[in-house]
Amino acid sequence: MKEIGNKIREIASRLFNDGQVDIFIAWRKGNVDYQTKPYIAKSIEDVNNIVFDEYSIHVLSNYLLKFRDGKEKIGIVVKGCDSRGIVRLLEDQQIERERLYIIGVCCPGMKDPLKAMKDHSGLTEQIETTDGLAAKCLACIEPNPVIYDEILGEPQEPNQKGERFAQVIEIENMSPDERYKFFESTLSQCIRCYACRQVCVACNCRGCIFDEMKPQWVGRETSVSDNLMYHLVKASHMAGRCIECGECERVCPVNIPLMLINQKLIKDVNEFFGPYEAGMQYIEGAIPPLSVYKEDDPDNFI
Amino acid sequence: MQILDKKRLENALDKLAGTAEVFLPVKKGTAQSGFYSWKTFDKEQDTLMLDALNVLLPPKNVLFPQTEKMYSFKEEGEGIEITGTYEDSKATIIFGTRACDAAAIERFDDVFLTRGYEDTLYKSRRENTVIIANACYEPGQNCFCTSMGINPTDPAAADVIIRDTGDAYIWEALSSKGEKVTGTISGLLESREVKLPELKSFNTIVDYNGVAEKLKNMFEHPIWDRLSQTCQSCGICTYVCPSCYCFDIQVKTRGNQGYRFRCWDSCMYSEYTQMAGGHNPRGDVKERFRNRFLHKLEFFNERYGKPLCTGCGRCIAACPAGISIAEIISEIKEADTDA
Repeated sequence: MKEIGNKIREIASRLFNDGQVDIFIAWRKGNVDYQTKPYIAKSIEDVNNIVFDEYSIHVLSNYLLKFRDGKEKIGIVVKGCDSRGIVRLLEDQQIERERLYIIGVCCPGMKDPLKAMKDHSGLTEQIETTDGLAAKCLACIEPNPVIYDEILGEPQEPNQKGERFAQVIEIENMSPDERYKFFESTLSQCIRCYACRQVCVACNCRGCIFDEMKPQWVGRETSVSDNLMYHLVKASHMAGRCIECGECERVCPVNIPLMLINQKLIKDVNEFFGPYEAGMQYIEGAIPPLSVYKEDDPDNFI
Repeated sequence: MQILDKKRLENALDKLAGTAEVFLPVKKGTAQSGFYSWKTFDKEQDTLMLDALNVLLPPKNVLFPQTEKMYSFKEEGEGIEITGTYEDSKATIIFGTRACDAAAIERFDDVFLTRGYEDTLYKSRRENTVIIANACYEPGQNCFCTSMGINPTDPAAADVIIRDTGDAYIWEALSSKGEKVTGTISGLLESREVKLPELKSFNTIVDYNGVAEKLKNMFEHPIWDRLSQTCQSCGICTYVCPSCYCFDIQVKTRGNQGYRFRCWDSCMYSEYTQMAGGHNPRGDVKERFRNRFLHKLEFFNERYGKPLCTGCGRCIAACPAGISIAEIISEIKEADTDA
C-alpha cells in the first residue's frame, strides 16, 4: 500500500504540474495511526499530505457534489466502491466526465477508522476487532475500480463470500409482526443526524424532502413513526441507486443496520427489473431501472 | 471516608431506583452506548458501562430530551383551548456522569435558567434531578477537558461524587440533595480508608487561552475554507455533544387538535437558518461550520465566561470526516491574523 501511496502522490504532482487538475481528492493521516481521513489537495504543495493506507475507507466520490456547480478540474482516487459512486453521479448528470481524472486503486479491503476511534476513545466496551477488515468491506462484491483513467495495484478478489443476502432472507422469513418489531426497535435508536444521507453518493438531490418545511413531509420528532418514515422514504429513493458502499451504516453513530434495508432493495430491484447492479459500468446515456418506465415492468407486488 | 463496594452496586442502584428514575451509562443491546434507565436494564443483552471511560451518547437527553411535548391544544369555534402542559417533575438521578458531561449540564443551567429567562420545562426537570458524578482518573485518547478549564476529578454540578478505586467507589455527598440520596443507600455504605486514585496524564492537550479573544477578528479568515473543506454537514457532532443545546419548536395537528413540541436542532443543517422569505444566511457548509465553532469557542464564552466545549472528545471520535475540535483550537491559536 505504501507503494500505491507513493504512486498516487507522483500522479497528483504530475497532474498539478501539467495543469490537468485544480484540486485532488484523496486521503490524509489523522493524529493517530488508526485514523485516515478525506483530504482535498488544492495545490502541489499539498500533495505531500496525501496518503493511501489500510484505513483509506472513506468513500470520496460524494465529495464531487461539493464541486458540481464549479468548473474545477478534479483528480480523485477511487476504490471499487468509490468508483461505482462516480458512475452513479455521471448517470445522474451531477458532474461531467471531462472534469475528472480518476485514479483507480484495486482495494484489498479496509479497516474502519471510525470504529477504531471509538474503541480507543474509551466509548465502547473495549477494543475488540479493530484490526480486522471493516464489516462493509467483508460484504464487498466489487473491490476493483469500474471507471478510471489510470489504475494502480493488482486486481483483487471480492471479499464477499457465501449467501450475499443471508441477513435479508432472515428478515424476509420473519412474520410481519416480528419484522415490524425488529425495525421498530432498531429505528427507534435513530437520532436523526442525517449522516447516512450526507455521506451517501446516491443522495445527490439538491433539495431534500426531509428538509422541506412547506409542506413538511416528515415530522422532526424522534418518534418511532417519524423515524420509520425517514428511513423508509430514504430507502425507497435508494432503490436501483445504492452502490452498496456501506458508508451509511459505517458512519451511523447509533449502529443502525441500514444496509439490511438497502440490500433488500438491491435484491428486489435485481429480481424484478434485473439483472442489475447499480453503478457497475458507465455507459453514456444509461438510466437506472427505476428511472425508466416500461410497459412490461412487473407490478404484481402492488 | 464512605465506601460503596462494587459488589453492592446493583443493590444500591435498585434502592436508588426505588426513589427515582436512575439513568446511567449502558450499552443497550447492539445499539449505541448512552444513558439509559436502570429499570430498563436487561441483564441478558445490556452492558453496564460504568467501568468504561464514557458512553457515546451524553446524558443531555435526560434533562433536555431530543423530543419533548410542550403543550397540547384544541380549537373550539373561534378560540383555542390549551388542553395540557407537559412539565416533567419526576425524581431523577443521573448516575456516573463524567466531569465533561457534568460541566455541560452546568452550561445548560446557564442557558436555560439565567439571564432573565427561566425555561420552565428544563427547570422542573433540573430541580428534581440529582447528579452523581464519577470522577475521572484515566483520560482517553481524545479527552481534553483540562484544556477547557475542567477538573476531571472534581466534577461541577455534582450532588455526589463517586471515585473508582477498582473494586469500590469512594462516596462523597456534596449537597443536601446528595445527602438525601446517600440516606437511601446508607445501609450499603461502609466507612473505611482507601487510597485515592491518581490522575493519569492527558494524550490531548490544547491551548484555549486567548482563543475566544482572537476569534473576534477571524470571521473572514481563510482558515474556515480549509477547515470546513471535508465537512459533510451531518449533525453527528451536535447530537453527540453534551453541551449543544439548540432546539426547534414545531407543531403537529390532526383535525382541530394538536400539540406543540420542541426537538433538538443542529446548526449544521441548512434548514436551521432557512428564513420564511427564502433567504438563508448560512447556506454554505463553511458558514455553518464557522458558526458552530464560533459559538463553542467565542460567542458562548463572551456571554457566560466559559467555552461551550467541555473537551469530552465525542465529536472527534464520531465525525465521519475525522474533523477534530482539538485540532481546530490549535489551528486557531497558531493562525496568522496579520495578513
